[in-house]
Amino acid sequence: MKNKVLILLVLFAFVSMNYGQLDRSKIPQAGPAPVINLGNYDSFTLANGLKVFVVENHKLPKVSFNLIVDRTPVNEKDKAGYIDMSGQLLRTGTKTRTKDKIDQEVDFIGASLSTSSTGVFGSSLKKHTNKLLDIMSDVVLNPQFKQEELDKIKKQTLSGLATQKDDPSSIASNVATVLTFGKDHPYGELTTETTVNNISLDDINEYYSTYFKPNISYLAIVGDINKAEAKKLVEKYFGKWKKGEVAKNTFTTPSQPLLAKVAMVDRPASVQSVINITYPIDLKVGTPDVIKSNVMNTILGGGFQSKINNNLREVHGYTYGAGSSIKADEYVGRFFVSTTVRNSVTDSAITEILNEMRKMRTEKITAEELQSTKNYITGGFARSLESPQTIANFAINIERYGLAKDYYKNFLTHLSEVTVDDVQEVAKKYVKPNNAYILVVGNAGEVAKTLTNFTINNKVNYYDIYGNEVDPAAQKLPAGVTVESVLDKYTEAVGGKENLLKINDKTMKLSASVQGMNLTITISQKAPNKLSQNLDAGVFQQKTVFDGEKGKVTAMGQEQEVTGSALEEMKVQAAIHGHLDYAALGVKPELSGMEKINGKDAYKVTLNYPSGSKAIQYYDVESGFLIRSTSTVESPQGTFTQTSDFGDYKEVKGVKFPFKMHQSVGPQDIELKVESIEINTGLQDSFFEVK
Amino acid sequence: MKLKLFLVLFIAGSVLYGQTRKIEFTQYDMDNGIHVILHKDNSTPIVAITMTFHVGSKNEDPTRTGFAHFFEHLMFEGSKYMARGDYDKLSQNAGGENNASTSFDKTFYYQVLPSNQLELGLWMESERLDHLKIDSIGVETQRKVVKEERSQRYDNQPYGSIFEQTFKRAYKVHPYKWMPIGSAQYIDQATLAEFMAFYKKFYVPQNVTISVAGDIDLAKTKELVAKYFAEIPRGKEDIKKVDVVEPPLGGEVRDVVYDNIQLPLVLEAYRIPAQGTKDYYAIEMLSTLLSKGQSSRLYKEIVDKQQKALFLSSMNYAMEDPGLFVVYGITNMGVTPEDLEAVIETELTKVKDKIIDEQEFQKLRNQIESDFVNSNSTMIGIANSLADYYVYFGDANLINTEIDRYMKVTKEDIRDAAKKYLTPENRVVLYYLPKSAEKK
Repeated sequence: MKNKVLILLVLFAFVSMNYGQLDRSKIPQAGPAPVINLGNYDSFTLANGLKVFVVENHKLPKVSFNLIVDRTPVNEKDKAGYIDMSGQLLRTGTKTRTKDKIDQEVDFIGASLSTSSTGVFGSSLKKHTNKLLDIMSDVVLNPQFKQEELDKIKKQTLSGLATQKDDPSSIASNVATVLTFGKDHPYGELTTETTVNNISLDDINEYYSTYFKPNISYLAIVGDINKAEAKKLVEKYFGKWKKGEVAKNTFTTPSQPLLAKVAMVDRPASVQSVINITYPIDLKVGTPDVIKSNVMNTILGGGFQSKINNNLREVHGYTYGAGSSIKADEYVGRFFVSTTVRNSVTDSAITEILNEMRKMRTEKITAEELQSTKNYITGGFARSLESPQTIANFAINIERYGLAKDYYKNFLTHLSEVTVDDVQEVAKKYVKPNNAYILVVGNAGEVAKTLTNFTINNKVNYYDIYGNEVDPAAQKLPAGVTVESVLDKYTEAVGGKENLLKINDKTMKLSASVQGMNLTITISQKAPNKLSQNLDAGVFQQKTVFDGEKGKVTAMGQEQEVTGSALEEMKVQAAIHGHLDYAALGVKPELSGMEKINGKDAYKVTLNYPSGSKAIQYYDVESGFLIRSTSTVESPQGTFTQTSDFGDYKEVKGVKFPFKMHQSVGPQDIELKVESIEINTGLQDSFFEVK
Repeated sequence: MKLKLFLVLFIAGSVLYGQTRKIEFTQYDMDNGIHVILHKDNSTPIVAITMTFHVGSKNEDPTRTGFAHFFEHLMFEGSKYMARGDYDKLSQNAGGENNASTSFDKTFYYQVLPSNQLELGLWMESERLDHLKIDSIGVETQRKVVKEERSQRYDNQPYGSIFEQTFKRAYKVHPYKWMPIGSAQYIDQATLAEFMAFYKKFYVPQNVTISVAGDIDLAKTKELVAKYFAEIPRGKEDIKKVDVVEPPLGGEVRDVVYDNIQLPLVLEAYRIPAQGTKDYYAIEMLSTLLSKGQSSRLYKEIVDKQQKALFLSSMNYAMEDPGLFVVYGITNMGVTPEDLEAVIETELTKVKDKIIDEQEFQKLRNQIESDFVNSNSTMIGIANSLADYYVYFGDANLINTEIDRYMKVTKEDIRDAAKKYLTPENRVVLYYLPKSAEKK
């Protein structure tokens, strides 16, 4: 018995020894923190001013060359896109190499060579370095821009723009950029079909010769190379590059909106909404706020663990991912939130994001959150050092932004000093839910109505894909519809050309009530365009006469001659056959879109008068009738838009006329009813005489 | 004589790619079946830890497509000793980053941590392999997240569905006929019990390869791997290899898909042999010839010279079972898809009819060499490649030697592969057209 017990005990001890070592519930502790060494770099400057940085790294037998032209941003105005194209064109030919030759030579050595408007990047195996630099320096120093290559790039750009039209993330990115920076700032300029067509080879040549100068450029060399080798190569290939003065451009800094502004781009096919919350900030590279803001943003929306992602994805399941960024910049920085969610939770997602933004300002984070975030940023810093390119970027940034020489060496120290209060302070400074553009690209029919609560004015502003504000009622025209077809359909709808032309004179009596006052109006017209109009409101009377050439208004015993553009318009309005006489009257009608008018689809026709003024008419797509006209009225009280709606078309002598009209001018609304219309009663010319 | 010949060959070989750095590694099997691969590189104080499970969408039940990928999301939910959400909290707190991906053939998880957090990383991975914990809140939340992922990548994205539409026409019986993302319908139907059964079957030691690369001590790392993984029991179920053999396509499949796009897209997909076969390398070289770099055949002739395409590319879907070689491009404005297809055809005919010249052949070899050098520049990249080579070919050393297979490909091999596989009866041709072009 004893023996047995003993054996059991031994067994037990053995077993517990084996498994007892590992207590899975215990989270392993970190080992001693490794030393994070920033690699060194060498630097030298050529006689022409080119600053060169060399980062030696012999792990792999390859070398890369990154040339950066550090110019100030440039306004492109109506030629937006020419700067990018200049960059692309750099790779398409030199004085001695065609594009074919460049392509063949680069590919033959298995290298890569890419160009942009602010630099050139080349990389190859070490054994091909000389060949690579031969091509790269030729591209930088001796480019030859050719019309045929520009034409190719323009064609590609136009096709590229076409594909963006249906891509919700490209649309959001474009419109958010315009909203944030405004179209007058270089950061907010958009390339469109129109601007592409304005670009000429001269613009490209001008750009290159103005900005591609060694004295504003940096060259970072990274890889299997030492300083002596690098110096020899750079002297040989870039020593002849000629320096030159480069002016610095200035521009006004964009500001945040005074109130949150909701912007909607309608994409009816969308099953998800792309949501962006964006605004400009004043945060300069290298300032003390940058590291604090980085900590703050990492907590708010920077990582997978961030409040915004955790809320939208892990708590609510609204999205595959959501995040925010805060960008420091020499000229103007930016705060930005982005996510994509299903249509039905668009407003809920925005509510949650704005709440997280507000809480970031009003609530202090915990010490644990702060520490965890610092650890995360430290880890990211260490990981970034795996690429030798990082050290080169640090070197360039120090020079470019005038940072302290030890800025990156001290980065982790400065990071460790950030406090909970610092985080709240920068949140209050840079997180502005009430001064943000809230952009949604999606199905407006489903989501727009839910977005009105995000601003004080309850307004949803609509934008097209280029960031221009648009009228949401405007629609796309179906193919094949022309201004002629619209007016022809109207002619048919009201009785046909033959019947219309039979009308020689017409007298119409209308009644109306304005602010409790009864009105009667009598309008008489005679071919081609004589007019008489009497307005009787009892105490107030007004008479207008127009004989086809001159006109006069009489009211309260006073007379006034009609002149200028008002006279021009009267000539047209008096025409008894209306649209059939446009050509004779010099009126140019133009089909300018489609809109919904009182729930009906309508073609929009703009009338361009000889005087230069315009009126707009809307024709019902279905019935063909004219259902609205609008024009601008100048009055002593200011400029008003006068809108007249027409309905209840009835036939008189083979021609249909509207018997109901609704007119609004500024704040005033009048309902007009046609009491009678008489045709061809034999009105005499004397009736329209202007005395 | 024999010895001399050998020496000469050796020298020739070393001249060609002697500059390539050899990746040293240690590998071993644990008693429970886990395969471990370790690579030491102390130049940066970080460590990459990966787990590669040999299970992908091809192991799914056809009425539960998207299951492997859905499950990948659930692997972040928690374990016996990690509450829901703790995985990411611990990772962030340690200064790490992590992610995962699911393909047709495998599911891949990784973390990159500061090297002093190696033990934490191994504990976290062993936790989810040993006793993953999923609850219904986690399943329901991820169900929504995965459907948003699907919408964002496929349904709300112009041209987003091209590969889904291609694979479903290129395969009739093989599970490659559906994409790893699966269909929303089945994502909705998957239950917690099914997930646990899937976990028990596939997430077991004998089905995982663990690789660790970076600033490590080999002996210490072996010890730690043993500490956290040795006691996890081998799975009880048999994991059968997917042995569905897809019959030949048996004639061209041609179709039109209408999408929310502005410019038409043309896609041709040719059925090709599995990765690692001799012909596969010839087709890889062929793809390089056709579309790598601006001097490549398709780019130079069609995009640059004739300006018929905005974008044109070719790619090999490298897969465990026979895959696809795909050529696809978006037309430039004013170019019809028929027109683009015709010029693609002309280029493909050229490679079938005529052997490429020595200069162009040398270019291909140089491009492959350059890619090979560049491919091993990060710890996570090396850890991933080592695991892939082991899982798919049983030979992790291919990380150093696979280039030999490319260098064995001859000019004739490239032409012959083009002739053999780039035939009309072996392909799917898809046109993507704007919805406005659809006849109602």
